[in-house]
Amino acid sequence: MIDILLELKDVNYKYKNNLILNKINLQINYGEKIALMGKSGAGKTTLISILNGTINPTKGRAKFFGREFDKLNFDQKSKISTIWQDLRLIEDLSCEQNVNCGLLGKESFLFALKNLLNISSFNKAHNYMQICNLEKSIYSKNIRKISGGQKQRVAIARSLIQESDILLADEPFNNLDPKLTSKIKNLLLISKNKNKIRVPHTILISLHRLDLLDGFNRVIGMKNGKILFDLEKNKLKNFHLNKIY
Amino acid sequence: MNKLKLNPSSITFLPILVCIPLAYELLINFHIGGIELFKEFIISALIPKINNEIIITLIKRLNETIFIAFSSWLVSIIFGIIFGILSSDISYKFLSLPIFLKRFIKLLLIITRSIHEIIWGLILMQIYGINFSIGIVAICIPYIAINAKVFSEQIENINLKTIQSIKQINGFKFSSLITLFWSPVIKTLKNFGLYRLECAIRSTAVLGLFGIGGIGTSIFLSFQTLNFRELWTYLWGLAFLIIISKAIFKKINLFNTPKKFLFNFVIVLFCISLFSLCFFVYFIFNKNIIPFNSINNLLILNSNFNSYDFLKLFLETILLSLFSSGVAVSFPPFFILIFNNKIGILIIRSISFLFRLIPPPIIILVLLMFNDPSISLAALTLGLHNAAITSKLLLVNLYTQDKNEYIAMQSLGVAKRTSWLFGLFVKQARSYLAYCAYRSDIIIRETAILGVIGSIGLGWQLQESLSSFAWDEVIIILFAYSSIAIIGELINGKIKSNLT
Repeated sequence: MIDILLELKDVNYKYKNNLILNKINLQINYGEKIALMGKSGAGKTTLISILNGTINPTKGRAKFFGREFDKLNFDQKSKISTIWQDLRLIEDLSCEQNVNCGLLGKESFLFALKNLLNISSFNKAHNYMQICNLEKSIYSKNIRKISGGQKQRVAIARSLIQESDILLADEPFNNLDPKLTSKIKNLLLISKNKNKIRVPHTILISLHRLDLLDGFNRVIGMKNGKILFDLEKNKLKNFHLNKIY
Repeated sequence: MNKLKLNPSSITFLPILVCIPLAYELLINFHIGGIELFKEFIISALIPKINNEIIITLIKRLNETIFIAFSSWLVSIIFGIIFGILSSDISYKFLSLPIFLKRFIKLLLIITRSIHEIIWGLILMQIYGINFSIGIVAICIPYIAINAKVFSEQIENINLKTIQSIKQINGFKFSSLITLFWSPVIKTLKNFGLYRLECAIRSTAVLGLFGIGGIGTSIFLSFQTLNFRELWTYLWGLAFLIIISKAIFKKINLFNTPKKFLFNFVIVLFCISLFSLCFFVYFIFNKNIIPFNSINNLLILNSNFNSYDFLKLFLETILLSLFSSGVAVSFPPFFILIFNNKIGILIIRSISFLFRLIPPPIIILVLLMFNDPSISLAALTLGLHNAAITSKLLLVNLYTQDKNEYIAMQSLGVAKRTSWLFGLFVKQARSYLAYCAYRSDIIIRETAILGVIGSIGLGWQLQESLSSFAWDEVIIILFAYSSIAIIGELINGKIKSNLT
């Protein structure tokens, strides 16, 4: 098994002449639970977009499972799943159809067609929706017609159903009340695979709230596009946090 | 002095100025020779002829119309979706297809939709003779291109972030593509596709006037024999068909249909697309095309066109398009503003329904009862027919929107018309103008119908050239038509993008 799953070397990212990421060096290893911290605009979302291959670095190298993103095969690409900050669900599809979209990398074209026609099996989707605390009554509801918190959980279920090796989550606890936040956090960080549910063993979550740091084993702090600290959770001190906030 | 500032509301009313040259020419050409006939035509609307023979013919003709309209609608929708997907940028980003293919398809679609179905019908009739297939193919050619444009525009509107998120799941390309396209395609099918059926029924009726069959043929034959009561029986029959088809499709909710039905529906669509593809291939290669045996002549342009006359016809066509667009844009808001009460609106609705129902060639033939052929008469006809369509949309949007400003103005004691203008119309002016820009594209293409009937512009010359099998002339006229339509589409596209 490859220990280093994702690796960035001297990565810069420029957007309209603004340097968003500046000389980022980062390795994500198998089994790590990483909290990515920093103020809004620190470059967390851009870093996640580079880590999942959505955007290419302007300078430097990004490697995924030891290869460049373009050279990965389908199977390897689908080992990375993402929960986006703005969720990016497909409007006009129901919750269960949206969750089933997470299976597009594993299932055939016929499955995609059946999903859109609403005649596919939703058992697997229902399992993941249930574990994300979604009420049965909203399974077949249009995504437009549910609340922000419910949408958030649909997005989480969609990325979990991918059964990927690494999960990148951009502020996944937005819109969730404290009780649900704790439940979902436990699901992502503590749960072992059970009840036909598989949770990725390697997780990187961008966060704002310090009270949610329990359960992580590594913390990365970002400010103005740079990584200011990257250390084990138990070595994190207040002055580290003061640097980034 | 303050500068005159134009905003969407004032721009909407400005084209009413076309009435000055129109009224001048119409008054000069006015005569009372056909007043009696006109009176008879109007009265016949209230007492259509009803007997066994007429009813049997009506049903037979309606069946033919349904067959042609529904077949051409279904085929044009299916292939419209396929070409819409193939001409949208997103497909090429996803499937890594060569970009020249997109450019080629787009060019092909621009050219095919720039020529009106009537022209396609007339050309195909000259080549293959008269039969039902001609009607279906003639409607399908431009309709596929028009539908493809609309579907492609909607697909291009898919949020870039949604595309990224689906891409990131790393599903199979076709699975991801169909998942992304599903919602915009179904939505467009619901909002626009069903409206196209109404258009297909109207186009079938107009093609019928040229002998394709269906209700249009009966309408034209009744008109030729001045049998107005019979004519109105067919027109009311056509109205019934349009209303019924709308009502049926309104009931179909594609998002809430039973699962089994939806699955069967997709299988039926697949079979029809396969069948229609075979039909097209059969149609092209298995028909007698003797009149077209001088295909080499297409490449040798030895026409006797007088360039001055040709330029005159060309300019007449442009002028006809401009005048008609002026009428279509300005008449609805102007008349709704003037007759702004319940009865007034009811009358406007009824008149616009009639102008939508009666095919433009029949409208111009009726108007010719008391006016000589002229650009103004053709422009008025085309303008009124299209104003009837724009007014329908305007009325729906005006009275389904939020009326808070209107109510507030009324409560302040502002006059009814002023409150309507500033409380209701101002909010719709921009989208109304954008729709009118799209409508102007159609008006440019429709000048062909009026040209053929009303001896105006390139349409008339086309009829002449087709009748004499002068294919080289036909090619020149088609090129001219296509150029006007494409330039018009580009200008209207710019206007539309500035407004939305």
